[in-house]
Amino acid sequence: MARPELIIEGLRVGIEGREIVKGLDLTVRGGEVHAIMGPNGTGKSTMASALMGHPTYEVLGGLVTLDGQDLLAMSVDERARAGLFLAMQYPAEIAGVSNANFLRTALNARRAEDDPVPVMQFHRELKARMESLQIDQSFAERYVNEGFSGGEKKRNEILQMAVLRPRVAVLDEIDSGLDIDAVKLVANGVSQMLSDDMGVLIITHYQRILNYINPTNVHVMMQGRIVRSGGPELAQELEARGYEWLREELGIDEPLTEEA
Amino acid sequence: MAGTLVELTPQQISAFAAAEPPWLVERRLKAFAEALEMPLPRSKQTSIETAGFVAPGLGQAPAVSIGHVGDGAEIMDLGTAIAGGRAEVEEHFGRLFAEEGSRLSALHLATFAGGVLCKVGRGVELTEPLQVALDLQGGSLFAPHVLVVLEEGARADLIVELRGEAGSEVAVRGAVEIVLQDAAQLNYTEFQRLPGRVQIHWQRRADLGRDAKLHWILADVGARLAVADTRTYLRGDGAEARVLASFFGGRRQHFDFNHVMVHQGQHSTSDIEARGVLQGKARAVYNANSVIRKNAKGASGWQHEHTLMLSDEARADLIPELEISEWDVSAGHAASAGPVDPMQVYYMESRGIAPVAARRLIVAGFLASLLKGIPLADVRDRIADIFQEKVEL
Repeated sequence: MARPELIIEGLRVGIEGREIVKGLDLTVRGGEVHAIMGPNGTGKSTMASALMGHPTYEVLGGLVTLDGQDLLAMSVDERARAGLFLAMQYPAEIAGVSNANFLRTALNARRAEDDPVPVMQFHRELKARMESLQIDQSFAERYVNEGFSGGEKKRNEILQMAVLRPRVAVLDEIDSGLDIDAVKLVANGVSQMLSDDMGVLIITHYQRILNYINPTNVHVMMQGRIVRSGGPELAQELEARGYEWLREELGIDEPLTEEA
Repeated sequence: MAGTLVELTPQQISAFAAAEPPWLVERRLKAFAEALEMPLPRSKQTSIETAGFVAPGLGQAPAVSIGHVGDGAEIMDLGTAIAGGRAEVEEHFGRLFAEEGSRLSALHLATFAGGVLCKVGRGVELTEPLQVALDLQGGSLFAPHVLVVLEEGARADLIVELRGEAGSEVAVRGAVEIVLQDAAQLNYTEFQRLPGRVQIHWQRRADLGRDAKLHWILADVGARLAVADTRTYLRGDGAEARVLASFFGGRRQHFDFNHVMVHQGQHSTSDIEARGVLQGKARAVYNANSVIRKNAKGASGWQHEHTLMLSDEARADLIPELEISEWDVSAGHAASAGPVDPMQVYYMESRGIAPVAARRLIVAGFLASLLKGIPLADVRDRIADIFQEKVEL
């Protein structure tokens, strides 16, 4: 199979009639790790949610393709089966459904009805993935995200990514609310999966996770657009100098709104 | 009102019970006389006047199948127990209806037929669950009585299944009486999966001695009309009772459930957790009441009810109540009804699961968390599967 390729052209996204993402262009290929950084309220998470098809966001314009297929024409579950994965900032809790059952159902949704993943093989694979993420084995039978700590929820997102092996993974603030040890664990989990078979888009407010996952490309988003792109050195510059200099350089002076 | 009962006479009851010991015939006749004087139980939301279980007919016994029975426990057909002169039946039968009865409980005691006696002896701790199935075959009016007695310190799990022939249109007027002596512990699981045209009126009573512990794990999926009234008397100090009630109604099913916890003992605790799912034009009326009597110091009684509404035409009435006559207690309730959370569906879809499959899993999971206490995985899974298959989306 060819290398994965996600192409975003002129994407515009709104919520409740307000335009948040105002024309975004980005291409992510297998083997690449893109980081989108930027202050709060600039549309980073809105873009991620719109890519996945979150029901409250409205795509106002633009084109998105994954491996040449029109992503925006697909339903949420079709996008996932086409190979898109979104590690969510606030994953839902689902009482009464175990993590193992959830993941097995998700895997089987990708296969023919008469060819489900063999149960033993599934559990072996799940166990191995949990071990490498330092997740306790009891996790498999716990209900999806119910009663999980913030760190457990994030690790669960990475575990799901590891089991589902997407073509392109979008990690929406996977580092927020985590202490440094948890950030390392999550970053290691992602790093273990890096190959030419997967492209990664990391959305983050802070540079620190990029100390553990080396990005190939760094972008800064402000006011709904990518305003600067560069290599890893751009992230370091932002870490050292903040966002203010860039704002001044670009002549952006309107106050930033906080993201909901 | 009493006029509607004239079709049944004391002579018919005596003839019906001719083979029974005199004490039981007397009890039947006394109950029948009371039934003539008593009003029908009233529910504003459920009309039962024309239901088959109101008819003053003589009952019929269901077929009883009994699973493995461990040492120190006995399960037998109630008819066999009566014929064998079992003292437990004379001592306990109908006793728990003395305090609060209705025409239907009295009529049941007068006309009951068959059922089960389950007894676990003093100090016996069963390691394997007891299983009983009551099967409605043929007939028109079934009236089984389930009597469970756990002696002091006994511990057991009992699983009761109510089922019948597909297409059956029978009525059921039945009762469960559970007596837990001091420090006895029972997990009572009841799975009602009667055919879709059956009408059932089912009255459960339990009496808990000091430090006794009862879990009612109730799962209702079947019947056209299911009315159940469950009252637990926490008589002894330190008694503990929980209700874990799950139900799933579809089409034009109508459920009317009433759970009452009556706290008499000090530091007695109760918790009622009910979860329902309604689709089609199904309707559920759910009443819960925690009664804390004077002198039940340190008692606590809580209620949580939540119903998932899968259709706009389904309807749920959740009516939580508290009746508190003592100061030093804790009690409260929470009730809600609403649709499946679209964010849960979105989350599952984002992992590649189709929306219909996602809803099924969410619904089954919502109910399954109340089934955790069922000791047998195959029973638990079977109920969860039936819940899941019932989702029409």
